[in-house]
Amino acid sequence: MAKTGLCDSKPLLDLHKKVDERRAPLRTWANACGPIDRRQPAEVEEPKTVPARVEPERRWERRLSTQTSESIIMGFHEDSQTCSAADECVENAVLLYPHGLQGLHSLQALVPSLLRHAVEVALEKLDLIWDRGYAWDLFLDMMRTQTRNAFSNADLPRNFTDATRAVLVDWIIQVHELVHFQEETLYLAVHLLNRSLRQLKVTTANLQLLGMVCLFLAAKKEETLLPEVSGLCSLMDNAYTRNQLLRLERKVLCALKFDLSYCPSLHFLLLFASVARASAGMVWMARYLLELSLLEGQCAVFPPVQLAGAALCLARQVLQEPPTAEGEAAWCLASSIHVGSETSLLKIMHILARTAAKAHTRETCATFIKFSSPETMHVSRHPGLKNAAGLLGICS
Amino acid sequence: MAHCTSMQYEPVAEIGGGAYGTVYKARDTESGKFVALKNVRVPTDQDGLPVSTVREVALLKRLDQFDHPNVVRLMDVCATKRSDQETKVTLVFEHVDQDLKTYLDKAPAAGLSPDRVKDLMRQLLSGITFLHSNRVMHRDLKPENILVTSGGQVKLADFGLARIYSCHMALTPVVVTLWYRPPEVLLQSSYATPVDIWSTGCIFAEMFRRKPLFRGDSEMDQLGKIFEVIGLPPEEEWPTDVTVSRKNFPPLSARPITDFVPDINEQGAQLLLKMLTFDPLKRISALNALEHPYFQEEEALIQTNS
Repeated sequence: MAKTGLCDSKPLLDLHKKVDERRAPLRTWANACGPIDRRQPAEVEEPKTVPARVEPERRWERRLSTQTSESIIMGFHEDSQTCSAADECVENAVLLYPHGLQGLHSLQALVPSLLRHAVEVALEKLDLIWDRGYAWDLFLDMMRTQTRNAFSNADLPRNFTDATRAVLVDWIIQVHELVHFQEETLYLAVHLLNRSLRQLKVTTANLQLLGMVCLFLAAKKEETLLPEVSGLCSLMDNAYTRNQLLRLERKVLCALKFDLSYCPSLHFLLLFASVARASAGMVWMARYLLELSLLEGQCAVFPPVQLAGAALCLARQVLQEPPTAEGEAAWCLASSIHVGSETSLLKIMHILARTAAKAHTRETCATFIKFSSPETMHVSRHPGLKNAAGLLGICS
Repeated sequence: MAHCTSMQYEPVAEIGGGAYGTVYKARDTESGKFVALKNVRVPTDQDGLPVSTVREVALLKRLDQFDHPNVVRLMDVCATKRSDQETKVTLVFEHVDQDLKTYLDKAPAAGLSPDRVKDLMRQLLSGITFLHSNRVMHRDLKPENILVTSGGQVKLADFGLARIYSCHMALTPVVVTLWYRPPEVLLQSSYATPVDIWSTGCIFAEMFRRKPLFRGDSEMDQLGKIFEVIGLPPEEEWPTDVTVSRKNFPPLSARPITDFVPDINEQGAQLLLKMLTFDPLKRISALNALEHPYFQEEEALIQTNS
């Protein structure tokens, strides 16, 4: 069995199970129980976590300076041993109460401060939070909303094929690049498209318009500067009128019940990469692989968090960067976030590896071209991608 | 499936109306249940639905997923075109028959029991904590938009939406009650989540009094009525970004809150004063209010009873 990395260690945070067990999110639960309950662990936690939060910082510093001083290496080894022993205790305690309200309480109090700190720093670096105090709550919310963002099957309406969908997504990627939107907007647009295709009856003739409307709505949600509708129409060779576009906008909003909140797989990828201290090259490679997943209709059945985990694992395998002590430790830390079963991660990695191997020969190659630029470190042209599938095959 | 057509929802009665649109009680022909239909008229330009509306409704929808017990459910949303300049956004909420105003009116002559008041307040503050932790301000809390189910469950309504039509409201002569407005809003200073705490304080007092605490008929009159109770704030607390001068008001000192809310107990009075604090920065937060000894007292009582 191949090691996917992100799931081969003992799961510390099996949040997926929790979603099934207890669907009410933390905030609801905390409010329902009254804040007295909610505050208690915080008070107990206070003396424990305050020094603990400072500690990882020191540990990193010490690790960074390992190359220079032998005595510190000794110190570090001792330190890491005691640390791993402590982490093991924490792990066991969490595993004893993996579910239910009680479990959540102890989970919050016992989550290893190292991981928690890394996640907080990462979210702050990604500019996803205003206040570090909310970071962990946000992370738990991100993990919990995952199952809502995956589809139960990859089936498309009868008159559409995966190939048609891929052509449409490829076109959206091109338009997205042309109008200089943020990356999040692209991921949201494709998510809205996936949902619209399942909820609305659209003729083949209106498929391009639907793609544009999804991109436009995503932009209304994410962007600060919006292009004019007339400009969007000209990008479609004025094949549709402005009124047609606005009518479909209302139709899509109604079909989706205005539900536009979505945590893109890209955010998970950047979060994991930050915790894992991935190199710039690995991040670009993973971003490339993740964007390829947008083109694959069968990827819609996986929650964004798994797609992100799989993209990062595959990037790591393709690049085969020489391991460093620091890098391995950070990778272990990132791996302690349980994102999904090993089987589903491997399944995704196989899909991505196959797609990446023939990306340059395809008609839908906007992503391949986008990631062949010097700014993206030419990752899409990396020779390792050609036999990426073989790489996985040998391992399994 | 989303189809806010007149087919699915059969209007039963008009509940309210305003410059921003109308509210109907309607029957969902699919489930047979009653819903509250809110039609909000949104000005649309050549670029379709305004970004603010799209984001606001998306936020309401997101909040709804948390399924908070003290927030009214949003069951359906849809947008229909009315003209080139206007789109009608219909929001379908669960319908609760009674608001806090009617609930207080219907209470027995002796008034609500202290335990009932405490329970209502706890639920109210839970709902507000939830909104505030999601960075949502209600901005227009009053007994009319706090719903109370037949089982005694408090549900906040009309939040967030206030922001959709607030720009509209400034332009139209809608009579909006001033009674629950905090000083910073009356003085047109900057404001944030503490506005909701002030309103909650006013409502807290009203649960005991069964009539509003400050009944002003203009902004200045409302401020005067407030200072009669809490006293004129010191010069250094007066906001600097306002045109109204502190000198316009007589130098009143604070009177005991129990003069105005005689039935409240000592802890309750303390909490009430923390909510009716002039300086919004010093006003208690919803989360801290829930931790106030006022709410812990009862738990002790229940424990000894059981």
